[in-house]
Amino acid sequence: MNGNDDGFYYLRGIPVPETPLPDQNPQPWQKTEVVGRPLPRVDAYERVSGNAIYPSDIVLPNMLYAAVLRCPHPHAIVGKIDTSAAERMPGVRAVITGSSPEADFSWPYSPEMKTKLFNPHCRFEGEEVAAVAADTIYQAWDAVRAVSVNYNILAFVSDEAKALATDAPSVHAGGNKLKIDRYSRGDVEQGFADADVVLEETYRSECELHTPTESHGCVARWDGDHLSIWQSTQGVYSIQATVAKIMDLPLSKVRVIGHYMGGGFGSKLGADKFTIIAAVLAKITARPVKLFMTREETLIAAGNRPPVSMRLKAGVKRDGTLTTLDFSAVGTGGAYPAGGTSLVDWLIRDLYLCPNVRTETTDVYVNAGPARAFRAPGHPQCSWALEQMLDALAERIGMDPLDLRLKNIPSYSQARPGNPPYVSTGLRECITEGAKVFGWHEARKKTAEPTAGSHIRRGVGMASALWIGGGGGPPSTIVVKLFSDGSVSLNMGASDIGTGTKTVMAMVVSEELGVKPDVIQIENADTGTTQYATPSGGSKTVPTESPAVRAAAIHVKQQLLALAAVDLKTDESSLTLIGDAVVSQADPERQIRIRDISGLKKRGLIIGVGYRGPNPEGKVINPFAAQFCEVEVNTLTGEVKVIRFLGAHDSGRVMDRLTFDNQVFGGITMGIGLGLTEARILDRNQTGKMVNRNWHDYKIPTAMDVPANIISLPIETDNREANTTGTKGLGEPVTIPTAGAIANAVYNAVGVRITGTPINPLQLCSALALLRKEE
Amino acid sequence: MMPEFTYIRAKSLKDAFSHLSGEGARIHAGGTDILGCMRDKIFDVKSVVSISGLNDLKGIRETGEGLHIGALVTLTEIAENPAVNGRYPALAQGAASASSPQLRNQGTIGGNLCQKPRCWYYRGEFHCLRKGGDRCFAVAGENHYHCILGGEGCYIVHPSDTAPALIAYGAAVHIEGRKGKRSIPIENLFVLPSQDVTRETVLEPGEIVTEILLPPPAKQMKSSYRKVRARRSWDFAVAGVALALQLKGDIVSSARIVLSGAAPIPWRSKEAEDSITGKILDTANARKTGAAAVSGAQPLEHNGYKIQLFRGIIEEALITISAA
Amino acid sequence: MSEDRDEKGCGGRGEECGRGMTRRNFLASLGVGAIAIAASGNPAAEKEASAAVIKSGEALEINLQINGHAHRLLVEPRWSLLHVLREELGFTGTKEGCERGECGACTVLIDNIPRYACMTLAVEAEGKEITTLEGLMHGEKLGAVQQAFVEHDALQCGYCTPGQIMAVEGLLRKKPDPSLDEIRTGVSGNLCRCGAYVNIFKAAKKAGQLKRGGVL
Repeated sequence: MNGNDDGFYYLRGIPVPETPLPDQNPQPWQKTEVVGRPLPRVDAYERVSGNAIYPSDIVLPNMLYAAVLRCPHPHAIVGKIDTSAAERMPGVRAVITGSSPEADFSWPYSPEMKTKLFNPHCRFEGEEVAAVAADTIYQAWDAVRAVSVNYNILAFVSDEAKALATDAPSVHAGGNKLKIDRYSRGDVEQGFADADVVLEETYRSECELHTPTESHGCVARWDGDHLSIWQSTQGVYSIQATVAKIMDLPLSKVRVIGHYMGGGFGSKLGADKFTIIAAVLAKITARPVKLFMTREETLIAAGNRPPVSMRLKAGVKRDGTLTTLDFSAVGTGGAYPAGGTSLVDWLIRDLYLCPNVRTETTDVYVNAGPARAFRAPGHPQCSWALEQMLDALAERIGMDPLDLRLKNIPSYSQARPGNPPYVSTGLRECITEGAKVFGWHEARKKTAEPTAGSHIRRGVGMASALWIGGGGGPPSTIVVKLFSDGSVSLNMGASDIGTGTKTVMAMVVSEELGVKPDVIQIENADTGTTQYATPSGGSKTVPTESPAVRAAAIHVKQQLLALAAVDLKTDESSLTLIGDAVVSQADPERQIRIRDISGLKKRGLIIGVGYRGPNPEGKVINPFAAQFCEVEVNTLTGEVKVIRFLGAHDSGRVMDRLTFDNQVFGGITMGIGLGLTEARILDRNQTGKMVNRNWHDYKIPTAMDVPANIISLPIETDNREANTTGTKGLGEPVTIPTAGAIANAVYNAVGVRITGTPINPLQLCSALALLRKEE
Repeated sequence: MMPEFTYIRAKSLKDAFSHLSGEGARIHAGGTDILGCMRDKIFDVKSVVSISGLNDLKGIRETGEGLHIGALVTLTEIAENPAVNGRYPALAQGAASASSPQLRNQGTIGGNLCQKPRCWYYRGEFHCLRKGGDRCFAVAGENHYHCILGGEGCYIVHPSDTAPALIAYGAAVHIEGRKGKRSIPIENLFVLPSQDVTRETVLEPGEIVTEILLPPPAKQMKSSYRKVRARRSWDFAVAGVALALQLKGDIVSSARIVLSGAAPIPWRSKEAEDSITGKILDTANARKTGAAAVSGAQPLEHNGYKIQLFRGIIEEALITISAA
Repeated sequence: MSEDRDEKGCGGRGEECGRGMTRRNFLASLGVGAIAIAASGNPAAEKEASAAVIKSGEALEINLQINGHAHRLLVEPRWSLLHVLREELGFTGTKEGCERGECGACTVLIDNIPRYACMTLAVEAEGKEITTLEGLMHGEKLGAVQQAFVEHDALQCGYCTPGQIMAVEGLLRKKPDPSLDEIRTGVSGNLCRCGAYVNIFKAAKKAGQLKRGGVL
């Protein structure tokens, strides 16, 4: 990973077309009327009324339901499959397996590693073995249960540490070591020599699962040789490209629609095997097929944040100057190449000023479900280690953890070749302003006071972060249509994954054209009718799409003024758009309402096209963050209660204050899950099967686990150099520092460092008992 | 996905008994547990006998004998009932802390007592001892949430949050079947794996819990239920403790201490009760009582923390109740 | 593939099988693809419920009262209320998240009480008043809780939102002026993976105010 957005994970494997440069880059907004206000979502009505049709809501005439038989073992060779009983069952219309000619497709886990749609060698529990289509979903599952399969069960390995042993079962021929990445700068040994304090610690971040509330799936329908797919996805064009390639279809014959989607967090960036399976079953039966994973299937086979064990040795001078960071990690993306250690060292490399840095990350195969990009890949794991280490160093040199961080703030990217400067870095302001609003110093003073008597202790902690992406960039093409009455339609390919993309883009149109956001019709996320967009992910949708939207709106405005100039018999350069009228700046009496412009009446509408221009050369666009929290720890039981949180975020210009704040709340909530409740558990010593494959045993935070008191504090830096809307991404940074901040607060409360996620009573209560014994 | 079954809507208890005598027949009260078990195919169910419409099993009423709670009373109804809150707060707290609001609105007290274990091996695709297999996967497996007391062959914990309180109050459970009625102390309802690893209660096939009877509480009784879980809602007890203490001044004259999350049955800790009985309710004695409760504990590889956790939760519960 | 294969020893097309019917036979006898018959306000449709024993593989004709309208339809014993609402009747305001009572996306009101439609057999819902998200609308106008969710941006992807709204609606019908703790408990059976809880709390508070001010 070179840190540039080129080849970024959400673009991997997706053809990216060259996009023309915009005609003209507009000047930055001086003052905004609409942008920045707290505006309710433009599609909120649809979402709260049930009118929004999510892919899983779709019921088509004559539709069949499909279910997939998945390998129940973590490692097995599929032998004889007997589908005869299943085929005879009521309502069953098709059964396919690896030996069905119609299902003979390859499936690329990476460019180098191609498997089959139904791979005879199953390397993780949940790998696809057969599929059924039937009249009802109940009948489909009856039939799945009636398929009998002979498995040759192989030895498995679940643990990444054990996977590296010489006698470990091989997931793939050639051993379990997928790759080792190394990075270094300066002289680490010299850095240790220069340090006054050197600390070393090991950390572990457990496997976390995305579990969006709408499960993964699609509806597929053929009209002759034309395939339509309604899929719960972050990117319709990425699915279109993959399906067309695998099934050897022209792009124009594959239409992917994903108007609404119920959460993805990175697990719905591209096509899935089920997409192809549904298309195959629909082809065989000549009927539409609905195929959604059950909740259990999503937990074993729809991706995860890879588990990783980390070691960090760090040196610091008494004045707080970091002298060295030496980091190594072993992680796993499961049974196939899936970025097991991708970006897991990035914060070590780039968050704090440090001349001497060395990292080594080892990605290994195990027999478990493949990872997928998960909200800020690698970063929360790295933050968990680095931010706890920073706190430990600060304590040893008697410095406020805040001051240690402030002492080491870079203005340029140390890890990228040539040390390019950041367009903006609000890290210092995030920390100082955040501390002020949170009341950091008062709170720290209070928690330092002895608390005699009570077994409930309070603690405060903080952590800061950056996100490697967040600048966005080409390609994006946007079409804005102005109807003859002055109302507007906005056409874009991007999905709104819950972040408020549609609303933000409507605000941009409104800012430029004056039309109210709620009368803007938005058409999006449909390869048949909307423009090309990359998947919504990686905190890049707003900085990618909003400049293109702005360009398209300006393109409309230019044409509108030209048409008005004809009616007003004046030069268009003297005209401006005010509300629903075009007005002469020189002579405000000379004006015409949009609906009266004769040229517009004749044409019916104006089409404006906007493209996303390139990012500035030699500059880095990253969002920055600092989060603060207060916790209450029950020293008898090890229960942790999060009392309050503050997220100070520099993501450039705030577009919609409501959706901005909501992202902050959401990222913190997800970080609370990583920090306090979530972990995948495999039956590592016996069967290798996942034991907590449901939402009771895999515990994501409930309303009771999240404080009602969360403050979102936007730090608006000047990013006019980054793009024409001055925006940076927000969706990833909001979840990066959360877990580390909680760990630091727990330490502040009770003096115990929990170095493995999650900090639950299982871990904490034993650690507290140990501490009591020592006392 | 739910397999097929025959659905029987019982018109009377007698009707239910006759249908329940068949092979593979199971009771549906609130349905929250049985439907989950069927969906996960933990055991074969041929027919579901719904008793949800039987009004005789509904309602809470008071007589000279005490408080009668019909088996179909929901956990929400119990948690919100003024009589329960006033006189049997541990039961109200237990009912209120079980699962989620929606499931409390649907799940019944009878079902809560008779629910199947939550062990992930039992609920998962593992042919374990309790399902007729030849081993308990928890012994060498991922036993973080398993029992530290009373496990023998099988290491489940009993999932009920209401049973510990009911045992602490000395409740009786009324059972009815084809052969007639019987009433037993609720403490005797549950079965240890050493007695029979394939069942959780002493109910014979076709028998139904019809009513819970709570005896009138003694005047100087203090009671509570406290539960620690890995998530603050919608989670079973990692450790829980129901207390019912009789106090004479500062002195505990008698005590019932019942643990959830500790053993395959709601675990009445005689050691803890003995430790605090006759003693002043202070921090030192609370701590000793916690230690006594786990004196016989035999943790597995990953659940040793429960020893500390039970010591902590019992100490805390006793201190809290002394201040109340 | 044959349409009228015998099922578990039942008779052929159109023939009664025990006291239930096979679904396909019923479809065949109607000759249409839709099996739901809206029979709003028709007391004749609300006839005496149900045979007492419905064998597996058979279907039973039931009446469901949904949002004030009667729906007469054939269901199998194993069909959940969720399945019937979504896949048979086309109510998109009840979402499917887990089908195992662990997320709350399918929350509906049954006799004004929030319950999971996925953990409720359709046959068990007969004779009860079922309210879905659609039932909170006044024509095209949003109900009070829905309005408050919009105002406070109490959603992100929106998929858990119908369930959250129904949980809040159920709470407010019981407790018109809930405290923050009561609100948190009230929605503690509804997972939101996007993490909009903080705004859901605000929206629930506001919805209570709206309702007490006469907005329904």
